[in-house]
Amino acid sequence: MVLRLSIKKRSVPLVPIGVGIAAFILAAALLVHLWQRSFGVGWFIVEAVCCVAGAMVVTWLGWCLHRLLESVTSIARQLKQDGEANKLDSTDVADELADAIASRIDHYRQKQFTLEEQIKQLQIQLQLAQRQKHNTDAIIYSIRDAVIVVDEFNRLLMANEAAGKLFGFDYKDSQYNPISKLVKQDKEEFTSLLNKSRINKSRATRRELTFADGDRPRTFDCIVSCVYDKREQVCGTVAVLHNITREKEISQMKNDFVSHVSHELKTPLASITAYAEMLADGEAADEKTQKEFYSIIQSQANRLSRLIEDILNTARIESGLIKVDKKPMSLAILIAEQLGMIKGYAEEKDIEIITQKPIIFDQAYVDHDMMSQVIVNLLSNAVKYTPNGGTVTIETQVDEIAKVVRVKVIDTGVGIPEDKVEHVFDKFYRVKENDKQAKGTGLGLNLVKQIVEKVHEGRVFVTSKVNQGSTFGFELPLAVNEPATVTG
Amino acid sequence: MADKKVLVVDDEIHIVHVVTIKLRNNGYDVISASDGAEAYELACSEKPDIVVTDYQMPVMSGLELVDKLRQTQQTADVPVIMLTARSFSVEEQQKQQLKISKCLSKPFSPKELLRDIEDVLYQQALSQQD
Repeated sequence: MVLRLSIKKRSVPLVPIGVGIAAFILAAALLVHLWQRSFGVGWFIVEAVCCVAGAMVVTWLGWCLHRLLESVTSIARQLKQDGEANKLDSTDVADELADAIASRIDHYRQKQFTLEEQIKQLQIQLQLAQRQKHNTDAIIYSIRDAVIVVDEFNRLLMANEAAGKLFGFDYKDSQYNPISKLVKQDKEEFTSLLNKSRINKSRATRRELTFADGDRPRTFDCIVSCVYDKREQVCGTVAVLHNITREKEISQMKNDFVSHVSHELKTPLASITAYAEMLADGEAADEKTQKEFYSIIQSQANRLSRLIEDILNTARIESGLIKVDKKPMSLAILIAEQLGMIKGYAEEKDIEIITQKPIIFDQAYVDHDMMSQVIVNLLSNAVKYTPNGGTVTIETQVDEIAKVVRVKVIDTGVGIPEDKVEHVFDKFYRVKENDKQAKGTGLGLNLVKQIVEKVHEGRVFVTSKVNQGSTFGFELPLAVNEPATVTG
Repeated sequence: MADKKVLVVDDEIHIVHVVTIKLRNNGYDVISASDGAEAYELACSEKPDIVVTDYQMPVMSGLELVDKLRQTQQTADVPVIMLTARSFSVEEQQKQQLKISKCLSKPFSPKELLRDIEDVLYQQALSQQD
């Protein structure tokens, strides 16, 4: 901004101006009075007084103006004298001021440019941070493990869907709520673990937590880690809960398997070693007793051998390593072949085996040896759990609509309690109520299921009523338009 | 130790048979049962001097049998030797709590079982003298 002052000394005729203005006002008042005669002499006096007062006011204003002009003139004179003393005139001062102001303006423009650049950089960083947060959120939300992040006051900062489902809260609308209020009482072991980790400032704490979930408890591998700020102070806690229920079940099954196998293998082995020792020590009194001991050793060795074979077959099928040779074959013919294996056992118990005449077109693609084992296992089980004098019926049906061939083994045996039926095909499962009826390893029916369902893409089924009997069977896809293979 | 009565309990008939022969050959009176429930009835009625029982049996397991024997006044102090074919043995705490004298893993030696029976009965006799 450039300021220029140019003031000249000038005399001001204040009195004549005041008198002139007063005369003008008086003349104007007279003219008004003459025009409005009806007002009278009183009004004229009033007008005259007003005119004199007005003249006085104008005169005072003129005097004030005169004083102001004198002051300004004095200041200007002083400025001029100062400028001469510094050999500068008012134009140089103004130019210097203009340069200074222009310089400042340039400086501020530079600063504005820098600030604008910084704003742009910050906006880019903000966008990147937002994108990074979005990606982090997406990763955490997509993790199947439950993830929970709380602040130093144990208020929820972040949780994914799995955590919401596990602890039963709305993971999107629960931010800043105390975790103790979000997690139900039956899972308070988790909140106490969070608290302990925060108090102990633990880098990572690992614990197995089991939560009740209906009949089936769920086990989680929980890792809790504290989050530290720049001052190494705990500013929050992160918890990751991985569901290990299945792993625990598998581990338990493995332990059960080892335990069962151990028991099943050791039992015949115990007989073999005991009788062998008795023979070696001459404890068998006579030849008859010796023969009896040898016979027991032989039968127990066979039992051991069958058991090992069953275990190996089950393992081979489960691992998919077994060689399968499937051919179209009549199941009724296959059943007829295997009946001989069971005939002697059925006769011992006076059990009648009822069969039907072989039907045509009941072929299925089967591995002869494996399917023979299925039939023998089902038939021997039926005879085993049927009291003396009962019956075992074998039926073969062809379902043209479903395109399956169905085999049923129906016995009049002890039956299976309703709540146990669904487990009879499980590995090593034995119906406790029927333990006295017959001995077994709990592998036979599991092997049937593995062979039918895993090797032959079929389906096993069972129905049973206690003290009335059971029906075990299987379905296999029908082999159509293929000539049947008759073996034996 | 002759004339001492031994109750042998196992659902494996061949094990019962071989133990019975071994013990009878050595002068013991042997009675047998194939499950825990039957054994308990027999223990109450026959009052054996010692019980040799399997761990895993139908109807009533070996541990359940011993627990029941301890709760019955007439069989509360009968010594017990347990046979087991499981992969794990009976826990020490459980063994002491149920006052199980010895545990033998299957397969076992009949000679070893006989020695254990004699040892347990001897210890029992000593404690009764005190």
